[in-house]
Amino acid sequence: MTSPQNGTGDAERALTPADLRSLRFSRASMLHPGYVDTEVDRVMNRVAEELGRHIAEKAELRDRVRALQAQVEGVIVHEPPSEQAVRILATAQQTADSYVAEAEEFSRQVTSEARAEYEQAVRQARENAGAILQAAQEAAGRLGEGAPGVTDGSQRTVEELQEQMAYLRTFGQAVRVQLRSYLEALIADVESEWGRADPAALPLEPPRPPAQRSGGDRGTTTQATFAGNTAGEAPAVTDVDEVVSAGAKPSP
Amino acid sequence: MDIPAMRVNFAKAAATGDEAPLYFYSHLFLSHPEVRQMFPVSMAHQRDRLFSALGEVVARVDDLDALVPILQQLGRDHRKFGTLAAHYPAVGASLLATLEHFDDHWTPELAKDWTEAYTLVADVMVVAAGEAAGQPAWWDADVVAHERRTLDVAVLQVRPQARYDYRAGQSVSLESDLRPRLWRYFSPANAPRPDGLMELHVKARDGGPVSSALVRRVGVGDVLRLGPPLGHLALGPESDRDLLLVAGGIGLAPLKALVDEVARQGPARRVDLFAGFRTEDQIYDRADLRRLAEENPWLTVTYAVSDDKISSLEQGAVGEVAVRHGPWLSREVYVAGPTPMVEDTVERLLRHGVPRQRISSEVFAPSRPGPSVDGEVAE
Repeated sequence: MTSPQNGTGDAERALTPADLRSLRFSRASMLHPGYVDTEVDRVMNRVAEELGRHIAEKAELRDRVRALQAQVEGVIVHEPPSEQAVRILATAQQTADSYVAEAEEFSRQVTSEARAEYEQAVRQARENAGAILQAAQEAAGRLGEGAPGVTDGSQRTVEELQEQMAYLRTFGQAVRVQLRSYLEALIADVESEWGRADPAALPLEPPRPPAQRSGGDRGTTTQATFAGNTAGEAPAVTDVDEVVSAGAKPSP
Repeated sequence: MDIPAMRVNFAKAAATGDEAPLYFYSHLFLSHPEVRQMFPVSMAHQRDRLFSALGEVVARVDDLDALVPILQQLGRDHRKFGTLAAHYPAVGASLLATLEHFDDHWTPELAKDWTEAYTLVADVMVVAAGEAAGQPAWWDADVVAHERRTLDVAVLQVRPQARYDYRAGQSVSLESDLRPRLWRYFSPANAPRPDGLMELHVKARDGGPVSSALVRRVGVGDVLRLGPPLGHLALGPESDRDLLLVAGGIGLAPLKALVDEVARQGPARRVDLFAGFRTEDQIYDRADLRRLAEENPWLTVTYAVSDDKISSLEQGAVGEVAVRHGPWLSREVYVAGPTPMVEDTVERLLRHGVPRQRISSEVFAPSRPGPSVDGEVAE
């Protein structure tokens, strides 16, 4: 413990700021006022020594910090990842890749199967439509044979054929209208059954009346609806196709 | 630089197939984990691409006139991935480590040569990217309309939030948050418009993550990211010849853009557009093409179906139908569609007598990650 009285104390012990603050030098004498020279000199020497030691230590520490920093940076820049780490990451990546590939392959299979089924359904519907149309035409032909003025196919004049054509056209149209109203009734029925099961799901407005095209006439595919075939149009094979094939499609 | 020695060394790594790129990326991600998020979850396609791109660079390393423009384009285009100048040395270090790993006769000379070559490549790319710093690295674009036209085709209207310059016939790379880090190329189907709207035709490929998300999941209000436009299908400014356009499926998009450009800017010329589809049901843009033909008397649109016996449209491959309507000997010809259709059409047109230099074509492959170094948009 440094004695405040003589201001010296143990030379081995480091000088602390508290030592300096509490330091009291002795008065010399009445003849020589002031502190005792020797005491002051001794303290000054110790302070100088202490300061020198601190400076040296600081420099040494600065060097050590520099060396450590260089070492740390060296790890990031120069030390490559180990072969083992590279192998582990590579395997992990390959596993991830194969999962993604499997998921994509699964999705590819499911969609292509769904598409095949869809195309099959459309083809089937078209064939059915063709068969219905043919049956209608045959029926029309049979009715036509019974009509007056027509005797034998070989004797038909152009005029008679045209009449027959017009008749068939009208008949085809009538069949189409009937088919449509039947389908609409069927849909209405389905919807009311559906509404009974889940009243909230029933649309507020009644189904659109026929002979009304929805929106702009954009292409033949997505906007074709049952209501989309105007009765005024000349009946044609594609129109009937549209009715049936649109029925097989998901709503746009 | 000892280029032959470098090629020998590169061939050793390339010969390992997937091994070398796998090693490269693992090395890169371990050394610089922050780079990983710039890549998609599955790296399978990325790996294919890396070494083929590097291979092309190595093949051309002694032909700087050809190589430099390619590298500049690559450098500019890489900005959309978030690539910074600081990433280039990281890639270089991992590339060197990979080339060393797969070569039992690695020498300090090789290391020096590759470092030199890579530095050159990286510098060109970094400088080009820096020069492009005036424009955005990517453009956010709002989806303002989305229409399912057929089972697997949708037509999107998108509006870039900032000015986006492109030319009719070019392709645009595109990324959606639904499929992060997967960029695919699509062709706008219109010439640039004053209101900035762009029409995109997208066909969902079975199992295609991006295309099926764009067709089935993206909706109005979603935001897509666009990369800078690329591609080479464009009307030559020096020619005012009449046009013959032959499209297969969704290849219609860039050709419709050319029609739009003639309509907006001229010069006045006759344009015959042939659009081929498998069945009549698949013609997804009929109404708009009808509108274009009605508005523009110089435009004739003809459809061809190749697998639809009931249809009353022209039957046969679209190239065949187009040639049947000839002669087209004085026309400038543009062909776009899937590979077999493009090859078939170009061959028929050449036999028909159209000079090769007047035929431009673009192949629409199932997945279009980007044009190759030769400028071809291909898988």
